[in-house]
Amino acid sequence: MLREKIEKLLLKVQKPARYIGGESGSIVKDRENISVRFAFCFPDTYDIGMSHLGMKILYSLINEREDYWCERVFAPGLDFEELMRENDIPLYALESLDPIKDFDFVGFTMQYELSYTNVLNMLDLAGIPVLAKDRDDSLSCIVVAGGPCVCNPEPLADFFDIFILGEGEEVNLELMDLYKEMKAQGASKSAFLKAAAKIDGIYVPSLYSVSYNEDGTVQSVTALDGLNKRVKKRIIKDFDSVYYPDNFVVPFTDIVHNRASVEVLRGCIRGCRFCQAGFIYRPFREKSASNVCRQAVELCSNTGYEEMSLASLSTSDHSQIGDILTGLIPYTEKEHINLSLPSLRVDNFSKELMDEIKKVRKSGLTFAPEAGTQRLRDVINKNVTEEELMRTCTTAFKGGYTGVKLYFMMGLPTETDDDIRGITELAQRVVDLFYSLPDRPKGKGVQISISTATFVPKPFTPFEFEPQATREEIMHKQQVLMDSITSRKIKASWHDPSTSILEAVLARGDRRVGQAVYRAWRKGCKFDSWSEHFKFDMWSEAFSECGLDMAFYASRRRSFDEIMPWDHLDYYVSKEFLVRENKKAKNAETTPHCRSKCSGCGVSREIGGACFE
Amino acid sequence: MNKIRAVFAKTGRAKYISHLDLNRCMQRAFKRSGLPVWYTEGFNPHIYITFALPLSLGYESGCEIMDFNLTEEVPEERILSALNGAMPEGLRILKVYTPSTKHTDIAFAEYEIVFSGEPEAVSKSFQSFMESDRISVMKKTKRGGVKEIDLKPDTEVISLGIRNGSFTAVLRLPAGNEKNINPSLLTDEFIGQTNIGAEVESVRRTGILSSSGEDFF
Repeated sequence: MLREKIEKLLLKVQKPARYIGGESGSIVKDRENISVRFAFCFPDTYDIGMSHLGMKILYSLINEREDYWCERVFAPGLDFEELMRENDIPLYALESLDPIKDFDFVGFTMQYELSYTNVLNMLDLAGIPVLAKDRDDSLSCIVVAGGPCVCNPEPLADFFDIFILGEGEEVNLELMDLYKEMKAQGASKSAFLKAAAKIDGIYVPSLYSVSYNEDGTVQSVTALDGLNKRVKKRIIKDFDSVYYPDNFVVPFTDIVHNRASVEVLRGCIRGCRFCQAGFIYRPFREKSASNVCRQAVELCSNTGYEEMSLASLSTSDHSQIGDILTGLIPYTEKEHINLSLPSLRVDNFSKELMDEIKKVRKSGLTFAPEAGTQRLRDVINKNVTEEELMRTCTTAFKGGYTGVKLYFMMGLPTETDDDIRGITELAQRVVDLFYSLPDRPKGKGVQISISTATFVPKPFTPFEFEPQATREEIMHKQQVLMDSITSRKIKASWHDPSTSILEAVLARGDRRVGQAVYRAWRKGCKFDSWSEHFKFDMWSEAFSECGLDMAFYASRRRSFDEIMPWDHLDYYVSKEFLVRENKKAKNAETTPHCRSKCSGCGVSREIGGACFE
Repeated sequence: MNKIRAVFAKTGRAKYISHLDLNRCMQRAFKRSGLPVWYTEGFNPHIYITFALPLSLGYESGCEIMDFNLTEEVPEERILSALNGAMPEGLRILKVYTPSTKHTDIAFAEYEIVFSGEPEAVSKSFQSFMESDRISVMKKTKRGGVKEIDLKPDTEVISLGIRNGSFTAVLRLPAGNEKNINPSLLTDEFIGQTNIGAEVESVRRTGILSSSGEDFF
């Protein structure tokens, strides 16, 4: 029995409760009555993966079907992985403790590029051949992936049988139904993949071949006979009535986001030009206030959580946010539940919202102006003015806060040293604002933290054509920022740009990049998003051994007519729109948010009507 | 306000829940149960639960104790069924009642320790180990230092024997606020000294006793 072998080792590792399941809300079924088993894998540790909302939704959704069983799988920590390999324990699922290589589907959610090597490592740990072509043709153990990164899945094409584009609530079940039917007929895996490729939202990379120009850019992507040239993502048309779980698995150990959360809206109206999520999750759809409130109460009473969040890309953009809060606050107060509101915007931060946030007693407030000058904020279409930031900070300071964290990006298109110095100047004006307020919190000084991240151009954004700033440019910008700070009330922090460079390469990589991912993993790269495990040298070696140049993918300007590795995937947002937005960016022209004026991104054509009435 | 004591078992997958996590786990189970539990007052209200004796990670137990308060009178059977309906796998409430003793009355705990290895040989060497005049070990103090203590006078052997093919020792050790000895101090010393390939396979707390030697609950 695998369980006995596992239990023998658990007391030798950190936080063993992560490796044995049994949490409240976890779903255990009788193997005998199951026709399709799905291993839902998150390519990072339990602490991170268990915080992910998408997994909770799809886990419960699949398990609603009596004869389907979805289980959870995470990457073990290094200590446990070593013991697993020494003791021949294959990667297993937490509910049944059965090896995932015996499952019908092994599905990964790809949330960030720096988790790619973990996928390879988990497949290997499971005893599943890492390369799709090395797996046999029997209809079992289909390796699939979904999530935002699969909008350009090409660097992962060698490892997966299927990519699921867009929202999974409907298509996952369609795929499992097809599998069940074809399995009963005794079909082969290749027959199944061909049939699956006809479902909207299903992309089978082995059925599409890529050719390249001499300069290394993509020449064409050709679909096998009878398949659509372009694969469309899936969306849920009626978001208000889409399935939402009434219970979560409640972990024993503390995890990153340990709370009940209700998804209040999908998509984003803002159109910030750097933000991939703002484009690939379009159209904007809301859940009605009454549904949000009902789901929140159900979740809280079934999980027993003492904290609840209203999750989305921009919760304060919900048209009924006032009704939602009015509906929830009497309940949360009576039940001693803290309400947290992530993703607040600078331009609609009210005293009421702040009072709610303060109750959760977490760290300070974070706002993201993203750029230091109005010109650059116009370039990126972050439609936030300095006036709005100042008003928000006034509210915060009057409410007792003595610190604000400001989040910026570095290396944005058209950015100059003046824009970088603008970050410090903006922070200084926030400091000055604090001391100008007669009713500021007394007895304490103000502390402004500036946090900067290196900009990573992403597919399906107006900046998909843009070069990423090189390491030298970023180092220079960091120096300019440090030199401009003269006040002790302003602190700046930044990260080594190496991870952002790799992120840029993987985000816009083509199918050839898969070889480098494979080699990097063979050299020992994993947990690349953890700075203590990140080995940039190994990655560089891996790329050069494959004859690939990281700069070709990261810091090369791409022309508007270049065929991008992901151009055969249809995320509803049109190329014409992206080009138009790119040109407007260069002129520092803004585009109003979707609610005030349709920007003609192409989504409304796909959904057969305007996004807003 | 009604003070309630619950005796619960912690077995199977639940034995990997650490003491800190157990508190959080119980908070949520109480919330799910829908019982009228009493919250602490103050800036950060939470459900008031106190555990009598922490249990080491990985140990099973058939006799864990926690106290809490209800704001209204609820029949004991209903408390029991509401709580058990909200417990995760491996945690089971065995009984609830109004306590008449204090946690500070606890003086001893009993542990059933199962060893791997050839049972006859392990049994023999454990017996001679227990016959030594002194069993000196280094124990961590609360202040973060270490001091040498003799386990011999504090260890009472309740029974030794071979059960289901494994050598099994039942020991009584001091427990509670005054003096607390974790059985791993003794077993680590035994394993280190004898070197016969025996290892501790499982530990289960089987009893909690007051200073008079009676069952605490």
